[in-house]
Amino acid sequence: MVVANKTTGQSSSVRPNRLESSDQLRSLSLSLSLSLRSIRIPRPYTMPSRRRTLLKVIILGDSGVGKTSLMNQYPSMRDHGESYTQFCFLLYVNKKFSNQYKATIGADFLTKEVQFEDRLFTLQIWDTAGQERFQSLGVAFYRGADCCVLVYDVNSMKSFDNLNNWREEFLIQASPSDPENFPFVVIGNKIDVDGGNSRVVSEKKARAWCASKGNIPYFETSAKEGINVEEAFQCIAKNAVKSGEEDEIYLPDVIDVATVGQTRSSGCEC
Amino acid sequence: MMADGHEDEEKWLAAGIAGLQQNAFYMHRALDSNNLRDALKYSAQMLSELRTSKLSPHKYYELYMRAFDELRKLEMFFKEEARRGCSVIDLYELVQHAGNILPRLYLLCTVGSVYIKSKEAPAKDVLKDLVEMCRGIQHPVRGLFLRSYLSQVSRDKLPDIGSEYEGDADTVTDAVEFVLQNFTEMNKLWVRMQHQGPAREKEKREKERSELRDLVGKNLHVLGQIEGVDLEMYKETVLPRVLEQVVNCKDEIAQFYLMDCIIQVFPDEYHLQTLDILLGACPQLQPSVDIKTVLSQLMERLSNYAASSTEVLPEFLQVEAFSKLSNAIGKVIEAQVDMPTVGVVTLYSSLLKFTLHVHPDRLDYADQVLGACVKKLAGKGKIEDNKATKQIVALLSAPLDKYNDIVTALKLSNYPHVMEYLDNETNKVMATVIIQSIMKNKTQISTAEKVEALFELIKGLIKDLDGTPDDEVDEDDFKEEQNSVARLIQMLCNDDPEEMFKIICTVRKHVLTGGPKRLLFTVPPLVFSSLKLVRQLQGQDENPFGDDTTTPKKIFQLLNQTIEALSSIPAPDLALRLYLQCAEAANDCELEPVAYEFFTQAYILYEEEISDSKAQVTALHLIIGTLQRMHVFGVENRDTLTHKATGYSAKLLKKPDQCRAVYACAHLFWVDDQENMKDGERVLICLKRALRIANAAQQMSNAARGSTGSSTLFVEILNKYLYFFEKGNPQITVASIQSLIELITNEMQSESTTPDPATDAFFASTLRYIQFQKQKGGAVGEKYEPIKA
Repeated sequence: MVVANKTTGQSSSVRPNRLESSDQLRSLSLSLSLSLRSIRIPRPYTMPSRRRTLLKVIILGDSGVGKTSLMNQYPSMRDHGESYTQFCFLLYVNKKFSNQYKATIGADFLTKEVQFEDRLFTLQIWDTAGQERFQSLGVAFYRGADCCVLVYDVNSMKSFDNLNNWREEFLIQASPSDPENFPFVVIGNKIDVDGGNSRVVSEKKARAWCASKGNIPYFETSAKEGINVEEAFQCIAKNAVKSGEEDEIYLPDVIDVATVGQTRSSGCEC
Repeated sequence: MMADGHEDEEKWLAAGIAGLQQNAFYMHRALDSNNLRDALKYSAQMLSELRTSKLSPHKYYELYMRAFDELRKLEMFFKEEARRGCSVIDLYELVQHAGNILPRLYLLCTVGSVYIKSKEAPAKDVLKDLVEMCRGIQHPVRGLFLRSYLSQVSRDKLPDIGSEYEGDADTVTDAVEFVLQNFTEMNKLWVRMQHQGPAREKEKREKERSELRDLVGKNLHVLGQIEGVDLEMYKETVLPRVLEQVVNCKDEIAQFYLMDCIIQVFPDEYHLQTLDILLGACPQLQPSVDIKTVLSQLMERLSNYAASSTEVLPEFLQVEAFSKLSNAIGKVIEAQVDMPTVGVVTLYSSLLKFTLHVHPDRLDYADQVLGACVKKLAGKGKIEDNKATKQIVALLSAPLDKYNDIVTALKLSNYPHVMEYLDNETNKVMATVIIQSIMKNKTQISTAEKVEALFELIKGLIKDLDGTPDDEVDEDDFKEEQNSVARLIQMLCNDDPEEMFKIICTVRKHVLTGGPKRLLFTVPPLVFSSLKLVRQLQGQDENPFGDDTTTPKKIFQLLNQTIEALSSIPAPDLALRLYLQCAEAANDCELEPVAYEFFTQAYILYEEEISDSKAQVTALHLIIGTLQRMHVFGVENRDTLTHKATGYSAKLLKKPDQCRAVYACAHLFWVDDQENMKDGERVLICLKRALRIANAAQQMSNAARGSTGSSTLFVEILNKYLYFFEKGNPQITVASIQSLIELITNEMQSESTTPDPATDAFFASTLRYIQFQKQKGGAVGEKYEPIKA
């Protein structure tokens, strides 16, 4: 066992295909010299990487706004039309919509595979319990999220008012490195109810709130009718992909010599 | 101690995360270089961190989530391996070489997930194998997390109908069996925790168990999400099997939580159709289980369901939901003798809300619920538990919220009985809620009988309960509640005079018991409400059906007595105003003696009760104004009253007040539309008298301050002169006006006068008015022409 040498040469041999430009190398070396174990480096977009193909999305919102239904409705089997040139959904899980409320307990996720610009991504969509009493273990699963979806019911002012709490709670608990630019998407669900007559949150009001929080993309959906669900999730996936471009890289402060020796050498720039 | 323990835990978690990250790092490298052997080695080492027993469930969950995220990468690698031709079956074998059992099982579940996906074996076989293998971990926390991992990775791979992993005919049963088995095992682990470790750590253990509960409950959520679980299967298999576990585990925490879960994760429709089974389990639970909360939550859900659409209501009738719930509640209350009052009331409150939603037309059901509640409360006296009284308010508010109509609630015979159990303070709160409901919905309460019932309900606001005034009441709160009573009195009306009179008598009866502080607020609306009735009757033929009918006279008699009640406060200013209002109304009814009587009362008050000089001024002007409008009086009565009024005027304390009252009296002798009341001479006498007083006032202020006071009074009198001049009073001559103008002009130019811009402006605009009238031409212009300003 040897202590990691603070030269760029050795660290790049540890992670040979993560770094390209000399700027990045410099920043890495600087971080190492500060003994940071965890640093953020933007990685080249086209670089293939296993970890980057997994994207984590968290759905939050009050109890009964339709989070589970939204997750179950996506992607639907509807005719996709022109908007499908960019995204191609390979896995269809079409669920029948259930009109009746069923509470979610703890956190639950489904995965969907999506193709985006010739790359395959696995979208891990976490549905959460809106009722606090069914979240007894806390929210450790927020960690490492690439996008957060805030859902409210357009027929309930309270669920809209609570978006702010959900957003802040998420930012505190997930503590993303750049909270200002963390991608959120807001969904106003249940636009179908009573032909829109029981609606109490206007689109204008919702959009104004989204704009005030750094132009959060906004969608109005009906999980029941399958309206706009797909468009919303396309946007969610796109934002998660962008966000996933940056990832936390872990570097051990102790490197096993034997293992270093075994590391596959590749076209290192240095 | 506690802080140290917490710090230690943080350290252990940090160490666990460090170990995990380190191994994950090498695992990534192995994955990047497609080195399966190393990948397995390092992932197993990584997972070894989960073997710790030092972390609380919360912290363990953090560690678990990190491992969970890493395992997703491994799973993808396995998938790629499988795609590259590596046999999943071999992988399934290979991971079992891991040295420690916990990492081995995590790896097995991970490969198992890929195995099912590959469809190389039926999902049900792989799942069965996995759920059996997990028995290898019997440590509660580790076991629960491992099984929760299994539950999560298998979540989208259950052989549900419509799923791509759907198997043969019994496919849903297979899926359900798998989840039920996992649930059963998890519940056992969870319950067993309660009995492990020393007794003194019971509290800590219960806290930990509470944190872990969602891992167990999650299985029920999964069951609720299985598409193939239809009502039939739910009724025959799922619910009985789950309840069997719940009942048999004999664990208070588990029973309470799992009942809650069942109610929340399965649809309302299923609950309705299986009410017998679900309610039947309640008495079998441990006596310490908080069944009232469980049942309340069930009823709340069902109420919301009933409220969601009228189409579902037949379902409720078909299964006789109300009587089943009502029975179940009765049994629970009987079984739990120690249930606190708040529990009892909460249950009935939920049942009432339920029946109001489901059977809005069955008032008897609602009354039945209230009656049952009264029975249980009997003998407990006034309820002092704060939470319980809040629940009673909720109980009593429910019918108001539902019907938006107190009239309906008044039909509930047990309603007032429930109110009896409230302490005075809460009684008032409830009364206010009732009044607010009436205001909000503009409810018409139109019979004396209903008014009687209503006042019985709100008596907390009407009088001092227990006969003793409460001195601690906040002044503002008191005002607010009495104002709301006043508003309520105005809302009570009926177009039929007979009934309205009865209503007034009823209100009066209650209001007069209110004591001096309340009368101030409640008498005026009562008086005005009565006067409204008088106006309605006025003009109708008097006494067409004999003495029993309501007549204005009768009402006035009552009014007289009502106002007299104010003397106990005393409130002479208010009483005087009310007497004058009544006099005016009597005037309109052509009832001279009645009107005279009211004036007499007002005069007596003025002479005997009103002593403050400012109050006198106000009262006197009110008297003069009212008297001026009276036309009912004969000459003699009018003379008497007018004479008195002018007499009062001259006796006011301050000269300016005297002056103004006297010139106001001039109007008493000149009423525009009545020919017999145009006594120009006496008008002039008043005005002249006013002038003398004004003069005296000026001299007095001269003596006091060494300078002449303002000439405002003169200008005011000049305006009166002009008024009567214009009205055609022959006694007001051009010469008298002319001389008054000169007098004022001289006064103002006098050196000893203190300049007063307001008076100057007043005078100037009066002169402008004269000028204006002149220019008008015609009769008016001619009249004004001779005046030189």
